[in-house]
Amino acid sequence: MSKFLLEAKELRKTYHLGRVKVPVLRGASFTLEQGEWVAILGSSGSGKSTLLHLLGLLDECDADSGGVWFDGKPVADLKFSARNAYRNQSVGFVFQFYHLLPELSVLENALLPNMVNAGMHWFSKRAQAQQHATELLDAFGLSHRLTHRPAELSGGERQRVAIARALANQPRVLLADEPTGNLDTRTGGEILDLIAEKHRKGLSIAMVTHDPAVAARADRVVKLVDGCVAH
Amino acid sequence: MYPVQLANRYLTSRIIPLIAVAAVALCVALVVIVVSVMSGFLDMLRASGRTLMGDVVISYPIRGIPWYEQLIDTIEKLPEAQAATPLIDTYGLVRMPYPEGSEKEVVTANVWGVEPQSFNRVTDFSKALYWKPPASPEAAASMSPDDLRLKLSDKILNDGLNLVKSDTGEPGLVLGMHVSIANERMRNGSYRPRYPQWFMPKQYVTLTLVPISAKGTIAEPRERVFPVVNEFKSGVYQIDKNRVMISLAEAQKLLRMDAGTLYDMQAPPNADGSLPVLGTSPAKVSKILVRAKPGVTPDQLQTAVFAAYEKFAYEVAADQSKVVKAPRVDNMSILTWEQHLRDLIAPVEKEREMMRILFSIVYLVCAGLVLSIFWAIVQEKTRDVGILRSVGASRFGILWIFLQYGLVIGAIGGLFGVGLGWLVIHNINFIHETIGQDAPAWSYIASFIIAGISFAMSVRGVTTGVLLSTLLWSVLGFTLAIVGAGLIMHRGTLIWDPSVYYFATIPDQVDWFTAIITWCGAVIFSVLGASIPAAKAADIHPVRALRYE
Repeated sequence: MSKFLLEAKELRKTYHLGRVKVPVLRGASFTLEQGEWVAILGSSGSGKSTLLHLLGLLDECDADSGGVWFDGKPVADLKFSARNAYRNQSVGFVFQFYHLLPELSVLENALLPNMVNAGMHWFSKRAQAQQHATELLDAFGLSHRLTHRPAELSGGERQRVAIARALANQPRVLLADEPTGNLDTRTGGEILDLIAEKHRKGLSIAMVTHDPAVAARADRVVKLVDGCVAH
Repeated sequence: MYPVQLANRYLTSRIIPLIAVAAVALCVALVVIVVSVMSGFLDMLRASGRTLMGDVVISYPIRGIPWYEQLIDTIEKLPEAQAATPLIDTYGLVRMPYPEGSEKEVVTANVWGVEPQSFNRVTDFSKALYWKPPASPEAAASMSPDDLRLKLSDKILNDGLNLVKSDTGEPGLVLGMHVSIANERMRNGSYRPRYPQWFMPKQYVTLTLVPISAKGTIAEPRERVFPVVNEFKSGVYQIDKNRVMISLAEAQKLLRMDAGTLYDMQAPPNADGSLPVLGTSPAKVSKILVRAKPGVTPDQLQTAVFAAYEKFAYEVAADQSKVVKAPRVDNMSILTWEQHLRDLIAPVEKEREMMRILFSIVYLVCAGLVLSIFWAIVQEKTRDVGILRSVGASRFGILWIFLQYGLVIGAIGGLFGVGLGWLVIHNINFIHETIGQDAPAWSYIASFIIAGISFAMSVRGVTTGVLLSTLLWSVLGFTLAIVGAGLIMHRGTLIWDPSVYYFATIPDQVDWFTAIITWCGAVIFSVLGASIPAAKAADIHPVRALRYE
């Protein structure tokens, strides 16, 4: 059994923009232990978001070479349904631009992973899921915003809803892509405090950032330069 | 459940689905209205045809069918036949009582000589007679207070049924309701004489018929003055415009088809100068109408009548006392009412099928419309697809969201369309009557007032610098101004011309079979229209969808 919860080895990834080949990852490796908070630091275009997407199977075109292991098992060969389940239950995503569904309320956005997971059994699981999501949103200071639409929230509130959504199914890993990149320093600090709180309770975190101050909150920093991990 | 919830939210939180629903509804309503009118037209034609012709028609038009009483006896003994009636079907001239003076109007007419009692048993002639007192107090209550029929007694009905003027005992004549131009059709479908003196059942007309000899040549025309005893309304305009009815006996006399003595024209005269007698020349008729017993189809009756005629012709041929023989069955025309009216019914059937096909193309428009609307929606919702995939939603789940969208738009749009179709069809005669009148003053005044308000709002848009508002109010203002001008110039348009479409009223019953099929078609085509962009949405890689600008 691997000692890493999440591991990427020698990942290579090239995007094709028309006839132009753009190599993004050039043999990047990454590890994340259970309960660890790792910041992936790098400048724009260094491949840090691509690495995060490959770790979370968000890019269905897998890496050109190399592989990703979750809990010691390779995830690259998973079938569609298993990939969906991985994104739904094993990892949770937080994005720079929140990515909330504008037609749903705060509570419904936070419940979305539960609804996807429950499928046709939603009605039997709804009450429990709703209680969990409400507690989470309450802990994030959003109890008065449950029925509001995302358009009615501030940036910080939106990001807190996004974190509540990412944690709805109690995943083992939080994959955060510049979670404070769109927020002012104070609000960003509050978001990092929330994440740190969850980390203290055992959540493993892989966080992409270009801000050394944000990276400094992590247990460990991995620096990505031109698609390679700098040692 | 998230596909249901999201589809519901997408449907209820924006205007574009309402546009799609409206488009589907209009397409469905169009098909339902057109095909229902065509189907109703065909049904009316069939119902009228059967009512007027019975179920089976035996014809031998020029020479006539001899010994027809014997043939009718034979037919009425058939277990399939309920009643049979002899008929003479010919053409003649009717000299009308108007205008004042000696130059009276003369019209050509299709003349039917009928035996009133048996004709009524076969064709429900009594129902077609127009001038009669109301059958019940409810019927009387539904009539306009100035309806002439409220003042009539049963005498006029009985005179019509017996084709006799009971006051004088003269043989009478019944006119089709539109033969006389003196009758005016009212908005509620009733009739009244344009001038009181031209109430036709108080008038006399002169009928001229042209007999045709056994050799097929035209003999000297014969004429007779008949009192008009009633008028009939079959509902088929062409019949009501052209047909008159007299008693069979009078028709036979005028056409020389009555019974007589048959002389041997080739033999030398007797000592007293007269020609030797060969026998009796029987009275003849040109048609026999037969009605089937309930539960017997016209086709079954046709087969039975065919066999009965063969037997009758054989018996007449074998009877030495009968010098005049019946025509062979091969020379006879024995047709069901539908075959007899084939020339009338077949084109309408073909037209209806053609309409069905042509208007089915409307479905393609519907599918194209839904396709383009969905394309726009999917483009707009691409990032939502990425978000859903990032929380583990499957491709099928994404596909299902948008397919439901199409399903709901098709189902609701289709329902509205059927409802709209029903509303229009149910009131189609009222709408037609309204279009046929001058536009009321309030309609164009209201149009101009609203147009004025719209222009004022448009000017306000200019002052506040809002282009969209300026444009929309201007378009509304111009449209209403044009509508108002159109309403002022509108002088009533006759769309449904009874002389073209046979019937005085437009069919107003929905063809529910077509309505259900059209609704199903709308749902299927909407789902198909949604499926392409839905599949496209489901195929988007999550990360690309999230980065979509």
